[in-house]
Amino acid sequence: MSGAAPALSLENVSVPGRLRALSLSVSPGRLVGLIGPNGSGKSTLLAAAAGLLPVAAPGVVRWGGEALERIPALERGRRAAWVPQEALFEFGFSVRSVVGQARYAHGDDGAGVDDALVRFDLSAIQDRPVDRLSGGERHRVLLARAWATGAALQLWDEPLAALDPRHALETLMLGREITRAGRALVFSLHDLRVAHCLDEVVVMHEGRLRAAGAPDVVLTPELLREVFGVTARVEPGLTLFL
Amino acid sequence: MSRRLLPLLLCLCALTGTAAPAARVVSQTVGSDELLLAVAAPGQIAALSHLASDPAFSGVAREAAAHPRITLGDAETILRFLPTLALFADYSRVELVEQVRRAGVEVMIFDRYKTLEDAHANLRRLAAELGSDAEARAERIVNSDTARLAALREKLARAKPVRVIAPSTYGVIAGGGTTFQDLCDRAAAENLAATLGGLRGHAAPPGERLLMWPIDRVVLAGETVGAALAPYRRLPPYQFMPAVREGRAAVVPGWMLGCVSHLRVEAYEALARALHPELFAE
Amino acid sequence: MKSFRAVPTLALAFVALLGLAALSLAVGDARLSPSQLLDGLLRRDEFAATIVWNIRMPRLLVATLVGAALSASGLVMQAYFRNGLASPGLLGVSAGGAAGAVVAIGCGLAAVSLLTVPLFAVAGALAATGAVILLARRGASTERLLLAGVALNALLGAVTSYVLSTHTLTYERNAQILFWLIGGLEDRTWEHVWMAAPVLPAALLLLPLGRPMDLLSLGAEEAQSLGVDVRRLRRRLLALSTILTALATAVAGTVGFVGLVVPHILRLLVGPEHRLLVPLSLVAGATFVVGCDLLGRASGDLRLGIVTALIGGPFFLWLLRRDER
Repeated sequence: MSGAAPALSLENVSVPGRLRALSLSVSPGRLVGLIGPNGSGKSTLLAAAAGLLPVAAPGVVRWGGEALERIPALERGRRAAWVPQEALFEFGFSVRSVVGQARYAHGDDGAGVDDALVRFDLSAIQDRPVDRLSGGERHRVLLARAWATGAALQLWDEPLAALDPRHALETLMLGREITRAGRALVFSLHDLRVAHCLDEVVVMHEGRLRAAGAPDVVLTPELLREVFGVTARVEPGLTLFL
Repeated sequence: MSRRLLPLLLCLCALTGTAAPAARVVSQTVGSDELLLAVAAPGQIAALSHLASDPAFSGVAREAAAHPRITLGDAETILRFLPTLALFADYSRVELVEQVRRAGVEVMIFDRYKTLEDAHANLRRLAAELGSDAEARAERIVNSDTARLAALREKLARAKPVRVIAPSTYGVIAGGGTTFQDLCDRAAAENLAATLGGLRGHAAPPGERLLMWPIDRVVLAGETVGAALAPYRRLPPYQFMPAVREGRAAVVPGWMLGCVSHLRVEAYEALARALHPELFAE
Repeated sequence: MKSFRAVPTLALAFVALLGLAALSLAVGDARLSPSQLLDGLLRRDEFAATIVWNIRMPRLLVATLVGAALSASGLVMQAYFRNGLASPGLLGVSAGGAAGAVVAIGCGLAAVSLLTVPLFAVAGALAATGAVILLARRGASTERLLLAGVALNALLGAVTSYVLSTHTLTYERNAQILFWLIGGLEDRTWEHVWMAAPVLPAALLLLPLGRPMDLLSLGAEEAQSLGVDVRRLRRRLLALSTILTALATAVAGTVGFVGLVVPHILRLLVGPEHRLLVPLSLVAGATFVVGCDLLGRASGDLRLGIVTALIGGPFFLWLLRRDER
């Protein structure tokens, strides 16, 4: 092996009933899409990678080559960011305050919060309580918070599903910007047209890793039929459903 | 000490012994209100309990109206009368008693009060604190009560015990070891809750079996049979009880059923008269 | 925008607390005149000193501690369960305290000593706390903890009801039991003050937890991903909240509504940031209970638990309506 340690690596990671002996490695600067049918284990994989689920022995999750269990809680907040699939808020914190939580592990220094608000188009509503926002707005708040952490590993669970086309596109471009800065971004998605503009896709099926690699190599009609049960025509850079 | 001062001191002691000591007493329970009014000189009474003038609970309602009464509340309601002695029962809130005691007030707690003998002991104990006049009054009361009790016992010597219960609207009735049991023992009555039901203290009656007890009379608190019975005519299971339906009730004034002072003698007599009118006819 | 109001609100609550405290030292059945009051405060007159220092002062201090404890405990529960309707009694701690006290009264132990019933209350509350923490140790989810709390509340409520139904001996003994079920501050002594005093260190331990509580209140997993040691934080919050509730219940019975309504009202006033809410809930909770006690005394000795509900309920409804607009 040459170069830097992978930003994220999973070795033999199992979560009872949800993930089976899964191994995966993501290099710094890569934009990785996680696809698979509902219930295939995408969210579980992201949560396990974020250290939010106990991983059965002998599986190991590493960030930057370091085993997760040896990274203290506060340090984890600096090294990785996770965006949940559902954005639910019980209390009426302001948008700005929630984005500011990104800096908790940095002693609440507030760095990059303004920038994140601007990039995710939240400046105009930064004083609004988050429990009064629309679903898409709430998702953008969570994405802005993940952005503001400045963490080298970004794990986003279906960030595009709730967004309108413009904000989805902008988010994708911001994701590209993250990876250009040398960080890794892994996110789950359902839109296979988007998958073609990524560096890598990882295909999940029934709790296992079915395939991983460059989109044009991995996304074959045979695989799509097997995993999703659909008939599709695949051309370079495009998947068409028939 | 000088020889000339000693006789003077003895003299003073004797004087204070005969005159009522400058005690100021606050009573916190109705039972102690009744004791206090019976033996204290009027000037010794600082305040009575908040129920003292309520005829439903107090046998001295009219006399009590002339005295100040404490309100519900904390120790201040007692201390503002600047008492030297405060009377409580063992069921008084322990924090209240403690606060009054800590304020430098002597505290007397009555913890036995179920029978007339208990009441007399309490009367003497209180009187001992209030001077020889009070003690003399206490002895007169004890003697007179003893005579009345003897007369009542003689009158009831051949009376056939009347079988009774004391229902309540609270879902419990009085069993053995209660003040009501003592009333029954003195007034030639058989408390079926104790003899048939085997109940001790105030307890829930045994539902349906209650209806099969051979009750001669129900004993109720109130003015008239009709008024006292009215709530039970609509209240299960009492509404199905023959004694209730047929209006067989013995009624005594409200305070008598719960009386814990020497005034119990009046309650014995009243219940005996209500249950055995033929013996008191003449 | 709302955070602008936080500092003035804290100052206002503090000034109100001082004012109400002064008033509760001045008001009472003994009707001391201002000069007598001064003599009492300076211990120049024995009677007035007794009233001020042995009766009114401990009552005031217990009210302060109980208010601070319940309100902070409620705030913690609401952040813990991410639910504005959570209250200090949710996990059965106050029901345990009440059951302990009622059992002591029912067994006729109340007259043994001043502290028998409070000690039984603490024992009951700690037993309930122990059961809860044991469950949490096993890694129970908040939902399971909540359900365990419901079960524990039912169980302890049954104990209380059993004693109530079998020991209806005298009107007075029932009145003592009711004291614990409704909650009150009559005749609190310095022993009660010392007993409740650990509220202060517990409150101090709570102050630095305000910030992580912000994150926890938006979701345990999110908080953890942002760097909060959620397991440790939850353990601490649970321990502090139950200890606060246990102490309050031991010295004043189960005073309802404070822990539910005070944090909620504060959140409506100054927003959800716990760095502000924690100190504010301590001061405002104390202010609320001291004020309610004063009102209760002024209106002919209404029990504390009744006043807190009578005042808190309508005020809460008004705030909710206002907030809707």
